[in-house]
Amino acid sequence: MARELQVEALTRRYGMLTALDDLSFSANAGEVIGFLGPNGAGKTTTMRVVFGLTSLESGLVRWRGNPVGAPERRRFGYMPEERGLYPGMRIGDQLVYMGRLHGMSRFDAHRATRKWLERLGLVDRMGDKVEALSHGNQQRVQLAAAVMHEPELLFLDEPLAGLDPTGIDDISEILIERARAGCCVIFSSHQLDQVEDLCESVIIIDHGRLVVAGHVDDLATSGARRLVVRVEADRSGDWARDVKGVTVSEVTGGAVRLILDEETDTDDVLQAARRAGRVTEFVMRRRRMSEVFREALQ
Amino acid sequence: MRTARYVIIVAVILVVTGLRLWRRRRRRRTPKSERPIRLPRREWATGDVALVMGRELRERIRGRFYLVGTVIILIVVGAAIVIPVVRSSKTASETVGVVGTLPAATRTWLVAAAHDDGATARFVTFPTKARATASLRTGHIAFAIVHGGEIVVEDSFSPTDNSTIAQLVRAVATRLGDQRALAAAGLSTQQASILGHAQPLTVYALHHGTTKRIYATSLIGVILIFIMLSQYNTWLLVGVMEEKASRVVEVLLAAVRPVKLLSGKVLGIGLAAMLQASVVVTFALVLSQAIGSNLLRGAGPQEIFVTLGWLVLGYSLYCWLYAAAGSMAERQDQVQSLALPLSLPMIVGYVVSLTAASAATPSLVLRIFAYVPFTAPFAMPVLVGFGVVTWWQFATSVVLTLACTLAVARVATGIYRRAILRTGSRVRLRDVNTS
Repeated sequence: MARELQVEALTRRYGMLTALDDLSFSANAGEVIGFLGPNGAGKTTTMRVVFGLTSLESGLVRWRGNPVGAPERRRFGYMPEERGLYPGMRIGDQLVYMGRLHGMSRFDAHRATRKWLERLGLVDRMGDKVEALSHGNQQRVQLAAAVMHEPELLFLDEPLAGLDPTGIDDISEILIERARAGCCVIFSSHQLDQVEDLCESVIIIDHGRLVVAGHVDDLATSGARRLVVRVEADRSGDWARDVKGVTVSEVTGGAVRLILDEETDTDDVLQAARRAGRVTEFVMRRRRMSEVFREALQ
Repeated sequence: MRTARYVIIVAVILVVTGLRLWRRRRRRRTPKSERPIRLPRREWATGDVALVMGRELRERIRGRFYLVGTVIILIVVGAAIVIPVVRSSKTASETVGVVGTLPAATRTWLVAAAHDDGATARFVTFPTKARATASLRTGHIAFAIVHGGEIVVEDSFSPTDNSTIAQLVRAVATRLGDQRALAAAGLSTQQASILGHAQPLTVYALHHGTTKRIYATSLIGVILIFIMLSQYNTWLLVGVMEEKASRVVEVLLAAVRPVKLLSGKVLGIGLAAMLQASVVVTFALVLSQAIGSNLLRGAGPQEIFVTLGWLVLGYSLYCWLYAAAGSMAERQDQVQSLALPLSLPMIVGYVVSLTAASAATPSLVLRIFAYVPFTAPFAMPVLVGFGVVTWWQFATSVVLTLACTLAVARVATGIYRRAILRTGSRVRLRDVNTS
């Protein structure tokens, strides 16, 4: 698969603070990619660099091998973290305006506006002002503004924040659909389990540097083995704390999630569990994205 | 004066040509790959700038503030035209008490004098001065003429009192005094009659004066310019601030260059202002014509075009400053502190121009302010109204304002570009310079 987006050695400083420190990564078309990192890691700054909203000390962003300029950016879609719409403007007018700024004809922009609002169940509110919508519906309109011109690259900053499960499902469905249509979809999120469900790949950055990047399946199956054990009448998981070569990752609902050292034998763990009580669950698990994230940042 | 005129024209031509040559040489020295891309001129009219401008114009005109603001301005202008007409059409009726006899010629003259002052006069005869005085106290008569040699009023008039009755009493006193003097001079009846009917000489003017009307036009014009510049520049400031606060500017700038976004915004709001100004001027002209007001009659196309032209020039100059200020704010409470220093030159120019137009005197300060770009939009239309500006003086003021506008626009777009995406707190000028 072609490496469509290439971010090469980006460096950006704000006074004494280094927001991006020689950051490099690449992204494929046709994939949904999670762009992760703790607060202040440089995610928003990276997005702004891609869209030419901030200058660089050094580095380059390429799209299909060429430096990104104004014509390329017109074919990109961007959804910033919060708002990003005119609160007092009518929804229909706003989408037509955004579409036309991205090079659509008046006719195409009107047609795309109706199509997306129908799909998002907001066609009846086309004449309402954005500020009259709920947070979830504003988020839907914002997504429509970002995708209505069928961008080649879609960059979204926290698109799932503050949404109810229905909203998350709606937006996730659209992101997957755009990726299947050949778009390169990159989004940042703090909801790591949703990232795991939605993304094919992830890019994790911290302090403006790349920490880890790769396919979700590869990252989940790599690293130390995970074992989940449930022992009847022992909800604290204290039995596991003294087992050699085992680290307790978390205890939830009586199930203990363990990280096994390379040489640890699962039979030894099973025997230790049996000594504590009747074992009702004993299963190997993949690394969760939250674990990948935490371990990458350690 | 003629030499100065030619020196200024030649200087302007040299400066413009020099600037063009300098820019061309600088462009040639820059490698092709680093040269900024120049858009075809047509794209400015049909591309992003036109889209942004169209949105601004549409949203402003649709807004309730625009409609309400236009209605309020129309009401104020309508009142300024209608009220003087209504007041002048009302004729006061003055009753004059007469004790003894008053010659018919004097009565006729008094009726005519009252008519000239916009009043009618009628006479009531009293047998005694006491009866006339009593009637004066009850307000039945305005004043009394006693035996043609004494005038009695209830309260004395101050020298500055220009009321109809005060002017009439002064005229009657002068007339009766003259008659008494003529009688004392021992002239024959025929001689006294000739002197009594003496008429002032006709004064011939080289130009037909409509001075008062032009001052009224200047007055209305300068008020209109001030209201509209304040209103629309504040809209611009708040509009830019809101785009920044709502983060919509991030989405826009991902697709549009900052200078195009700002230009479209400035043009859109400017067009909304010109549309409103055109509606107000058309309404004022039609109304004054319809009701026979002489407030704008005689204010030919020149005065109207000068007012509208300076409205455009004033907006072109100030809009960039307000837009740059808007890009430095992020909250409504920061708007006031940013707008105040920008509005000071406007207020000063407005007050000086308004005072000069009201006093009907082109003061020295007004003449100086007419060439200072930040006050010229107020001072120059008033100076034109006085008829004391030659075409080259007018052109000099326009060129100075345009040159200043170019410089201000260049600096302001730089500030806008650097400040519009800086969020978190109010951006200060030193932050912009260091970014």
